[in-house]
Amino acid sequence: MVDVSVSILLLRNLTNSIYPLPEKDWISFSSIWKPFEAKRKETITASGQVEKFLYFVANGVQRVFYQGDEQHEATLVFTYAPSFGGVLDSFLLQLPSRYFYETLTPSTFLRTTSEEVQQLMSESQAIQRLIQIGINHSLAGLMERMTELQCFSSEEKFKKLMTRSPHILQLVPHKYLANYIGIDATNFSKLINSVKI
Amino acid sequence: MKPTEKKALLNSLEEKVERHLKAVITEFQNLPASALLKTSPDGGWSIAQCLDHLNGYGDHYLREIKERIDKSENDEQPIFKSSWLGQYFTEMMDPDSGKRKFTTFKNHIPKKDLDPNKVIAEFIHQQEDLLGYLRKGKSKNLNSIRIPISITKWIRLKLGDVFQFVIAHNERHIRQAMRNKTAQGN
Repeated sequence: MVDVSVSILLLRNLTNSIYPLPEKDWISFSSIWKPFEAKRKETITASGQVEKFLYFVANGVQRVFYQGDEQHEATLVFTYAPSFGGVLDSFLLQLPSRYFYETLTPSTFLRTTSEEVQQLMSESQAIQRLIQIGINHSLAGLMERMTELQCFSSEEKFKKLMTRSPHILQLVPHKYLANYIGIDATNFSKLINSVKI
Repeated sequence: MKPTEKKALLNSLEEKVERHLKAVITEFQNLPASALLKTSPDGGWSIAQCLDHLNGYGDHYLREIKERIDKSENDEQPIFKSSWLGQYFTEMMDPDSGKRKFTTFKNHIPKKDLDPNKVIAEFIHQQEDLLGYLRKGKSKNLNSIRIPISITKWIRLKLGDVFQFVIAHNERHIRQAMRNKTAQGN
C-alpha cells in the first residue's frame, strides 16, 4: 500500500499537469483528501448509489463498469495511478449511478467528498478552473474511446490499450481486458498470441 | 483441536488467495500456450494440468460453499475450531507440512488435451469467487456450516476446515506449477 504523503505528491504532480494551482490554493485543495484502501474485487460504488466521493488512485487498478443481465457487461474505463477515479457523472450530477466502480487489484486511494469540492470551487477560481479542465480532458478521452469502439478492429483496440496502459496485462485478469475491447475471452487469447507487442 | 479467532483466520486465508491470484496473473497468464502445456522435466504435470486439477476441486467445493453460505443464517460466532479430520486434510495438503506424494483420485486426474488459456481464466474466476466467500464467511458460523467432501457426500466437513484445505491444496499445486515454469527457464 502507498504512504499518504507519497499519494499527495502524486496528486500534486497530476494537478500540475492539468492546471498548476497557486500555492495557497494547493494548500486548500490538498487538505480535503483522506486516505482510503480496498482489497481486490471490492465494490467501491454500486449501481443505484449516488457517488459520494471523488477518488485519486495512488496504487492498483480499478474499473467502472455497467452490468445489466449476464450478457450485458461493459467495462467503460480502467483507472490506475496517477489518475482520478469514481463514477464521475454520478459524482458531478449527484444522481444515482448507472455503473459499478470496483477494484481489480488491491488499491490505495485518496478521496474527497462532493460537498468539499463544491465548497472549494465556490471559494477559489483556480480550483474551479482545475476541475473544469480535468472534466474537459475526461470528455475528450471518452469521445476518443467512442470512436475507437465504433470503427477500430479488435487488434487495433488491443494495440491502443497496450499503448495507453502497457502494464495492465501483468496486473489484471484477461477477461476484463477482453470486455473493455468488446470481444469474448477466447478471441482475446487468440489476439494476444497473434499480436507481437 | 485448538480454537482460533475466525476473523484472523479468514484474513490470513484472504491474503493467501490474493497471493495465488497475483502469482497466476503475473507468472502464468501471459505465457504462450506451449509453455503452459509443457510437462515438467521429471514427467510431472504441466502448468495447465496443475491448475486444471485445482479447477476440478474448486468446481465441487465452491459450488457447495456458495449454496450453503447463501442458505445459512448470519452468526457472529467469533471462534472457529477445526475438527480432527479437517485439520488432518489441511496438513496433508499443505506443501510445508504434507511431504508425501499422492496418487490423485481417478476423477481428479487432469486431462491431456487442455485449452490452457481457458484453464487459467477458470482458475482466476474461481479464486475471485473464493475471495467473496471468505468475506461472507466473516458473518457466518464456520463450525456449523458443513460441506460434503468431493469423493463422498456422506462425509461433511466444517466450512472453516474446507476453506483451509482447499487453499492449502491450491498452494501446493501453484508451487508445483512455479517449479515447472522455473525449469523451463521462463
